Amino acid sequence: MRETRYIHFFILFLLVAFPLRVSSQEVPGPDENIPFLITFGPAGRVTSWGDDDFSQTFFFTIPKDYKDPFYIRIYDADIGGKTDELNNFWDTRMMYSVYGGKGCYTDPDAKGITPGGNFKSGTLLATRTFGMDNKLDERWFTFGPFNPADGEYYPKFSSNVFKIICDGISGDDGNLYRYFLSRRSDTNVPIQGANAFTYEYTFRMWNNNDTSFVSHIYPYIDSGCIYIKQRNFDWDSDGDFVVVSVERKGQSMPLSGEDQWTESRMPILDAEIGKSLDFRFYKKKGDLVRNNNVVISVENQYGENLQFFSAPIGGVPVYKPRIKVVPKK
Amino acid sequence: MILLVLPAGLRGQAKGAFEVYRMPELSSGSDDMAPVIMSGGILFCSNRKVNPFLTKKNLEGVRLYELYFAPFNEEGKPGKPVLFAPNLGKDANIGPASVTSDGNTLYFTRNYLEGKKLKKTDSNKLGIFTAKRNGSQWTDIQPFEYNDPAYNLSFPFVSQDGRYLFFCSDMPGTLGKYDIYMCENADGKWTKPVNLGSTVNSPAAEINPFLHSSGRLYFASDRPGGFGGLDIYYTRLAFGSWTKPVLLDEPVNSEADDFAFYAVQGSYDGYLSSNRRNNGDDIYRFTNTIIRWSVCDTLKKNSYCYEFIEENALKNDTTNTKFRWEWNFGDGAKANGITSEHCYAGPGLYDISLDIVNLITGGIEKRQASYQLEILDVEQPVISSPDTIRTGETLVLNAAKSNLPGMDVARYYWNFGDETASSGLEVSKVYPLPGKYNIQLIVSSKPGAGGVVREVCVCKDIEVTANGN
Repeated sequence: MRETRYIHFFILFLLVAFPLRVSSQEVPGPDENIPFLITFGPAGRVTSWGDDDFSQTFFFTIPKDYKDPFYIRIYDADIGGKTDELNNFWDTRMMYSVYGGKGCYTDPDAKGITPGGNFKSGTLLATRTFGMDNKLDERWFTFGPFNPADGEYYPKFSSNVFKIICDGISGDDGNLYRYFLSRRSDTNVPIQGANAFTYEYTFRMWNNNDTSFVSHIYPYIDSGCIYIKQRNFDWDSDGDFVVVSVERKGQSMPLSGEDQWTESRMPILDAEIGKSLDFRFYKKKGDLVRNNNVVISVENQYGENLQFFSAPIGGVPVYKPRIKVVPKK
Repeated sequence: MILLVLPAGLRGQAKGAFEVYRMPELSSGSDDMAPVIMSGGILFCSNRKVNPFLTKKNLEGVRLYELYFAPFNEEGKPGKPVLFAPNLGKDANIGPASVTSDGNTLYFTRNYLEGKKLKKTDSNKLGIFTAKRNGSQWTDIQPFEYNDPAYNLSFPFVSQDGRYLFFCSDMPGTLGKYDIYMCENADGKWTKPVNLGSTVNSPAAEINPFLHSSGRLYFASDRPGGFGGLDIYYTRLAFGSWTKPVLLDEPVNSEADDFAFYAVQGSYDGYLSSNRRNNGDDIYRFTNTIIRWSVCDTLKKNSYCYEFIEENALKNDTTNTKFRWEWNFGDGAKANGITSEHCYAGPGLYDISLDIVNLITGGIEKRQASYQLEILDVEQPVISSPDTIRTGETLVLNAAKSNLPGMDVARYYWNFGDETASSGLEVSKVYPLPGKYNIQLIVSSKPGAGGVVREVCVCKDIEVTANGN
């Protein structure tokens, strides 16, 4: 019993002392409770299905002291079968590309929220295009091995950064998928201290009309942030969007309607600097909003996009109420 | 809270608080009386024997009264008395006297006829005269404008502000044997004397009026109801009328004659005259033993009401929040809100906790914050009493609810705000006069380490209204 307690203390110590070293290479992360990422084929440029740009970029960070080969694995990489979203018939092709090297992260276009300019910056390390492929349906496809040194070293993270872009090439079906950054090619084995992030999150909400199904994303608030502006797209007014942080409990934010953008600003508290916010998305109770695919991004007062880490920096923020008692005269 | 059952013996009664000492330095074995303070000494009248050549007597050999002055020495004690201003009158009784606050005008009593020895049976009543200071001399002796040789006018007293002159007389209009009258200074002239009325003046004699800076008019009277002989009373002008006189307690008064009460303005130390030793009239000094703190805390009310604030939530925009803050106040009571107020029944240790309810899911996050609230009564002596009472009714004051942790109480001392005091956990007091009285409760501890005695004081105003009965 005592040993168990020591182990708990040790884990807590690691989480507090090394918040950037949290380990989650599963995208979406376990704390996010998001069933799938989603990218639609670009045919007809139809955004009302919940994808504004038919492309999604994620970055993986690998600690500089990790030297072994690693793999990027994709769950249900094909478009077709049980998981993906069908529009008429399966005619969609999706291209996954892995980038490393100089500029793969630091190029300004790489940090954008729309695929444009030099967003495919860096060195292309691997690419593969999928259509309907029953062999990959609900299975893992593996890129790699990759050498960590082939990433772009980013001192602020003390990590090598890799980029993976999922591009809709043709068709109009929805590709639902997940990623895992793994030490092994055949199973998902996380790399200690690695993480993943994006600047624009396009994902699938739970197919449920139970408010206990709550999805989270965790924007990181860097120093100098005075306020943030969140933009969300095509939420179909499905439930509630609430912000929680170490000093904020339940600030409501607006959700967009069908094929619409909505945005709102929120001032940042001092205690929130250097930590993550918890964006909570509660499903609507009552009439089920099925296959709800949504997009969200956040920027600071300078228009710089903020990162959503799969494993929240500083851990999942826990609101701490503070009681003050004042005698009445 | 202290709970005590009071034995009967602990219940105190309000008593006068003067200590009285005879002044042998002013006593002669004859009659010495009516001292007043002037020019660094005591002026009093006496029929003492000086020497065969200087002692004034009437034709029957009875010694006459003269004024004597005893200057204070370096220790503040009166030195050897010397005859004061021999030119104030020859072969006549002189005194008592009163001096204006500037020390330049002397009001004194003297027989109308002077300069001729008279028999005891000769009519020579007393009048009031004035004299002006002229260096070390007193000159320009003038009769008081309302003197009438057919009547006695005596015991003059000029108020400190020079506005009022009190005296005693048996002039027409007198209600008893001897009444107190008052004149007002109107542009340097005294108005026609006014009898103070039947509330103050009785069918008996009232003499030796003295107006103290507290507003009290002290006098002596041999009316029934006193301790015996002449006794000292005081009255006060309230709403244009003199209040019913109050008899001073022992030891100021005694079974003998006690009169000529004179207190130093601004204090309650002074002098009186008495024949309580059955050896002629003597001068006594009295000191006020009543303790009164110049600065005393006002009785603070215990408050068991608090405002509870969830500070972090206040920083945020919680409009349309999807959460609800639920307070558990630790005494069974609950309330909702980012801020809330609650009043407890009394002191105690309360475990405050805050639950947060998710209004979307209905889930309750229990004890998201907690706070140990210890409510203590204010550390102070506590005066338990009504706030108002009528004259003549018994006011009971109790200190049992005093909250003085760690203090080993030796004494509860009560100052009733009218120059009376008492001690005890519970005391009673009857106010004879209406008014607002500031009661002080001074609690003293037993000597602690190093012999240190801790004292704390709290005060409370009591409104005493006139009893209509």
